[in-house]
Amino acid sequence: MDPKALTALGELLGDRLRTSLETRICYSYDATGKRFLPDAVAFPDNAEEVRRIVLLANRHRFPVVPRGAGSGFSGGSLPVHGGVVLSTERMDRIVAIDGENLYAVVEPGVVTETLKEEARKRGLSYPPDPASLKFCTIGGNIAECAGGMSAVKYGVTRDYVLGLEAVLGTGELVRTGVATAKGVVGYDLTRMLVGSEGTLGIVTRATLRLLPLPQTAVTLLALFPGNRQSAEAVNAIVAARVTPSAMELMDRTAIDCVQAAVPVPLPEGTGSALLLEVDGPEGSVAREADLLAEACRASGALEVRRASDAQGREELWKLRRSISPGLRRVAPVKLNEDIVVPRSRLADMFEFLAALASRKRVRIVNFGHAGDGNIHVNVMISGTDPEETRRAEEAVEEVYRKTVEMGGTISGEHGIGIAKAPFLEMEVGPLGVSVMKRLKDCFDPNGVLNPGKIFLEERMVRR
Amino acid sequence: MRDEELQSLIGLCAKCGTCRTVCTLYPERKAEIAVARGKVALLEAALAGEDDGVEDVQEALTDCLLCGRCERSCPNQVLVEEIVMKGRADLAEEIGIPAWKSVLFGKVMASAAATGIARKAGAAAERLLLSRVPTASGLHYRFPEGVGAGGRTLPELPARGFIESLGKREAVAGEVMLFVGCVFDHVFPQVGGAAYKTVKASGKSVAVFRDAACCGLPAMVSGDRASAMACVEGNLRRLRAAEPGTIVFPCGSCLLMFKRNVFSLIPRGNPLYEDAVFVSDRAVDYASFLLATGVVDRLPDPPEGERAGEIGYHDPCHLSGTLGKGPEGREVLSRAVGTAFAEMAGADRCCGYGGTFNVRDYPTSARIGENKVTLAARGGTKVISTACSGCILQMRDMAARVDPSLRVVHIAELVLQALSRDGGGASRR
Repeated sequence: MDPKALTALGELLGDRLRTSLETRICYSYDATGKRFLPDAVAFPDNAEEVRRIVLLANRHRFPVVPRGAGSGFSGGSLPVHGGVVLSTERMDRIVAIDGENLYAVVEPGVVTETLKEEARKRGLSYPPDPASLKFCTIGGNIAECAGGMSAVKYGVTRDYVLGLEAVLGTGELVRTGVATAKGVVGYDLTRMLVGSEGTLGIVTRATLRLLPLPQTAVTLLALFPGNRQSAEAVNAIVAARVTPSAMELMDRTAIDCVQAAVPVPLPEGTGSALLLEVDGPEGSVAREADLLAEACRASGALEVRRASDAQGREELWKLRRSISPGLRRVAPVKLNEDIVVPRSRLADMFEFLAALASRKRVRIVNFGHAGDGNIHVNVMISGTDPEETRRAEEAVEEVYRKTVEMGGTISGEHGIGIAKAPFLEMEVGPLGVSVMKRLKDCFDPNGVLNPGKIFLEERMVRR
Repeated sequence: MRDEELQSLIGLCAKCGTCRTVCTLYPERKAEIAVARGKVALLEAALAGEDDGVEDVQEALTDCLLCGRCERSCPNQVLVEEIVMKGRADLAEEIGIPAWKSVLFGKVMASAAATGIARKAGAAAERLLLSRVPTASGLHYRFPEGVGAGGRTLPELPARGFIESLGKREAVAGEVMLFVGCVFDHVFPQVGGAAYKTVKASGKSVAVFRDAACCGLPAMVSGDRASAMACVEGNLRRLRAAEPGTIVFPCGSCLLMFKRNVFSLIPRGNPLYEDAVFVSDRAVDYASFLLATGVVDRLPDPPEGERAGEIGYHDPCHLSGTLGKGPEGREVLSRAVGTAFAEMAGADRCCGYGGTFNVRDYPTSARIGENKVTLAARGGTKVISTACSGCILQMRDMAARVDPSLRVVHIAELVLQALSRDGGGASRR
């Protein structure tokens, strides 16, 4: 990077610009485990500083890579071409929570759980709940359009972003959207920015929709002989016109993975499990829980467990929550995919995955948000055997092809980043890519914002 | 730098970021370098030869309280405490230990006699040089502002240590051994005394471990393996020779050293390994001993409703967290003081001491500590009780800084008060 650029950044930020090798190493990775060393790390305090950093980037042509908590799974915050990692950690204020008009105004560095907790205290709810909610940030959630378990009923981050303040690649500060329940004034720039992975603008403030906090919830754990039956139960539940607030499916591979680590007593022959939750007013929740249990039994459940108190519910969640920690015991490296297929094709996809695992001789652990058709496909490898890694990557590519063929999408909630860039065109087609690139040029003509993401580049390293 | 064992320990980190949620230091630093994931990445780079700025990596590793929250919340069970200590020791072997530390840990603290002399010198110096701050827990001395200590206070050092005050033939042999620890011997002898009297109430024969060196934890967390070994070796040999059935530790950090950390210094195959296992198997925390031997069952019923909810229990990170002994301390406390005990606001928050961390970065240590005691006091707590020497040192200093009416005690002092209520009908204050 041009030393003059570093000097100018230093003048702007003082000791909030760090160039020591140690700090650069600490901002070289995310949850993908890949590493790219930035030239410097900037910790701006406010939108004006973000704006001036981007202006300097245009003058001196260095990349600016926004980063929240570095908890992403697609490499969105990795500085693949060096430059400046712009950390939003110091912009972590909740500016306002408006309980009358049901919205919150927050800075990008606010941790998702912090907002959820502040909302809860006021009897309100911010529903998006990505698995990393205790440490991921709202800015990162918006950039990647994070989902979560409650998406089946409440939708994803996109559905809660009413308006944004963001610094575009040009260094202009734009305000988009509304602070009202509705708004259709011109193009929807808010949605344009949500999920754009920091390639179009850097969010400096967000207006987020809140809901009243549901009164109560009931959790059910239904155990099935196989995925056919649990997938059938998912369809039966939809047919019963009940919308659970969580609908998590674990197949045999995931159950085995948990049982090896923290055994949960299960009936013999359990090959698939559905974790269901319904929330809302007391009376209707109990009725809906009955309907869910009925649908599960009619679809062939071996057993249905049910809890409405906090401790009992947590006990049922244990099976689901233990999967991710348990994965590490299966193999050190996971290729973590988040495909989505139409709900009606879930059982077919699980069958395809089982066959693929044996054909490619790799261990694949599957679980996910069945209500959304969103499956986390984890191809588990040692990471030290190049031949095995190659087979695993081939398997992943086949999963993508099958997903698109079934009318699904290759990323439900992780984003494209660098991990899936080679497959972007497979899903959106050449024209789709071309339109996206034209938009990118309009928001960020010099390409200073998060270069090397979403779109395939020759010098980019896959995995 | 090479260390295959360290390499395999850090290899388990998946860089997920969960450690960011629990790190005591992260809210102060708001930068990745503070959290376990960052420190693991730095060690990875150092081991791979990508970062040869050994001093700077050491500096980053030193910026940690070793509170262990990251380790306990880690989905992959990465042994962060072990990694940080090993990393500090490996790096220290390359760049050396500061002279003042190796003299303090390797010479003074490894010798009971030298520690006593140091205390006497310290006692004279504070009386001569520092200003007096009376607090509910006793007299403190305050450093002047601008002497690099930012308003730090020290407790008044006593003329005699606890062990020094014992009769020559008192408590020399017994089935139960009391490991008093430097601080409860030399700085707060009243805690050493209270622990001794209440452990004796078990009816068992009790010996006090004399000629004790420091447990070795301060040296170990500073990466000073040689000094830590100097402390540990003598202690293990003498403890083994005394053949106690049980060794009671009033301090949670000393206990952690003998229960767990010792095996990092003395792994299987080391000639001292058998001795380390002997001691580790017999080491128990003060509260568990009182519960197991029925001392608490013999306490008179505490007065109903008196000072209701005024006494809180602080969870020492090592004792309640790493060793999981939080419930035992509370059980003893509630049996001793009854309804005067109530769960304290922020009970499980780290006090911010971190041993040498407090010396290295007093302003940050004090900010974390002040927040801790202020939260407790606002919640109505008037007495903070606990069972760790470092936490007591820190919280007494914090109380002297923000609220001298807040008392900080060891649970043994409250148990002793309850015991004396039984004999002679002495009433509680």
